[in-house]
Amino acid sequence: MGAMLRTRVAPALLGALMVLAVLSALVLAAGKPLGESFQIILQGATGYPRGEAFGPLDAWDAVLHDLTLLVLTGLAVAVALQAGLFNIGAAGQLLVGALAAAWVGTQTGIPTPVHLPLALAAGALAGALWAFPPAWLKVRRGAHEVISTIMFNYIALYLTHWLVTERLKDPSGDAPQTAPIAEVARLPMLHEAFLQASWGLAIAVLVALGLWLALYRTVWGYETRATGANRDAADAAGAPTARRMTEAMLLSGALAGLAGAIEVCGVQYRFFEGFPAEYGFDGIAVALLAGNHPALTLVSAYLMSALRSGAYHLHAETGAPKEIAVVVQAVLILYVAAVYLRKRRIEG
Amino acid sequence: MGGILDAELFGTAIRQATPLILAALGGLLSERVGVVNIGLEGKILMGAFAAALGALLSGSLWVGLAAAVVVGLALALIHAVATQELRTDHIVSGVAINLLALGLSTYLFRQLIVPREEAGESSVVPTFGAVSLGGLENLPLLNVLLQDQSWLTLFALALPFVLLALLTRTRWGLRVYAVGNDSQKARMMGVPVKRMRYLGVLLSGALAGLAGAFLVLAATGQFRENMSAGRGFIALAALIFGRWHPLGAAGAALGFGFFEALQMRLQGQPILGVQLPTDLLLMLPYLLTVIALMGLLGRMKPPSDLGN
Repeated sequence: MGAMLRTRVAPALLGALMVLAVLSALVLAAGKPLGESFQIILQGATGYPRGEAFGPLDAWDAVLHDLTLLVLTGLAVAVALQAGLFNIGAAGQLLVGALAAAWVGTQTGIPTPVHLPLALAAGALAGALWAFPPAWLKVRRGAHEVISTIMFNYIALYLTHWLVTERLKDPSGDAPQTAPIAEVARLPMLHEAFLQASWGLAIAVLVALGLWLALYRTVWGYETRATGANRDAADAAGAPTARRMTEAMLLSGALAGLAGAIEVCGVQYRFFEGFPAEYGFDGIAVALLAGNHPALTLVSAYLMSALRSGAYHLHAETGAPKEIAVVVQAVLILYVAAVYLRKRRIEG
Repeated sequence: MGGILDAELFGTAIRQATPLILAALGGLLSERVGVVNIGLEGKILMGAFAAALGALLSGSLWVGLAAAVVVGLALALIHAVATQELRTDHIVSGVAINLLALGLSTYLFRQLIVPREEAGESSVVPTFGAVSLGGLENLPLLNVLLQDQSWLTLFALALPFVLLALLTRTRWGLRVYAVGNDSQKARMMGVPVKRMRYLGVLLSGALAGLAGAFLVLAATGQFRENMSAGRGFIALAALIFGRWHPLGAAGAALGFGFFEALQMRLQGQPILGVQLPTDLLLMLPYLLTVIALMGLLGRMKPPSDLGN
């Protein structure tokens, strides 16, 4: 019990305290009163205390939107890390996934019942395809996946920008965006009147639970985790490590691509220049905070969404820079990495 | 084509390449001692912000330059402590530093510089002027390439040769090589591995800060949100493309700078009746690096002890 307190509870409490300290410092440095600001952040994150024009439903709209994306990008980063691969490329995979979904969504002549599933599948497939070269380079050529996924992020950025300004642009306007996707290719809302969240959220949660089972209750998952824990040992034990790494990377890309597809089919209904790819990077913090566990990803994605919504609300109400959330996230990553992810290595 | 490939284009290419060379050589100094540095982007960005703020508040470009270097050093110190003392994963620390720099520079920009702009004060600082070439002015090619360049560019062009000499001809250089290839063995031979790593990472931060300073104090005269715009990652690409060699990295940076200059020139200008998509030109450095990683251009071998 004492050890548990020392290794688990104390670092978590210290981390929470540090987040509060950084948050306070940033709020104070922005010249805003501390108590009132925290109330506003809390209101943005949860809806309480209720404001005149801002209640729990408004908070949940923002939180659930981010939650959907962060669960999926967090899982994307987590599943790759479970196999020992650092996928920094979720942003690029999200972009190509979103554009692929928008392209399928704007096609005519696709039978109504399959239009939406096809659009989502296209997003996942595009994301997986985008993750394949880095996986191949890693397994066959020994090239570090971090470098190649960074390169593929930029290639995705320029490629989708070119496509959306030149090739797939909505011909009826000047804006660099695709035409709106067909009505039948849109994800319905979970509840029409109540919550502004699409079925994408349900998909994200189901994927998290499915991945939990796959990683912790199947031979495939065991081999994947063994590969990530110690590839040489897993090799020696006869696990097909190159295969598991490739599969994990493809799955990772598919999840990031699915995140982009859900943002298109459930929220934006089109792809446009400046599509929010940064959720792919936020997935890194979500995965690290969850220790790469799919079920805990739901929790860490919620915390991160609440932080973002709170900071955004503070920005809307007082004009304090919303980048407060980015700084807090960076400090959190450093803290988690320094406390929980230290290399176990003996060195003089 | 005659109107496109003129000397001015090459001059622009060298200007565009300057921050890439500085950051790539910074990355080289860190990676050669075994510390992965994907935080170059953040250090350039924070360096650019510090340069603008320092120059604005003091009215002196040199104070801005010093501020950029100091901020680059500070972020590098975080990376050094995180990777060397706390044994944090190098990639995670780099990701966090990039995020920290993006958040902090935007936050501080909105707090400290935007209000000045809103009050009608200028947020533009003067820039370092062109260095007079003196006797070189009569040389046919150099005079066109090097005219209108600031001293920071000339410094960046000379630096790879200086670094090459230091790395191959001094005790420090040999120790760098030893640490990067096998830190255990180097330690047994009595090389102060940790101190070497601190030095490499800190120098890398200073150079990346300088790259950021160039963006403000030589190129544009003002800070803009996220103005590093991926240059840290292009520098990383140049480092890999140049196979962790000072001349190779600088050469690759010059090549990538050329693509940027060409892209700026081609904006909306058709060649032989064909409108070349500028996005595809901007993509080239990354594509070329991927091709290099595929091993099509010979084996890409990073320092063996990288990331430990």
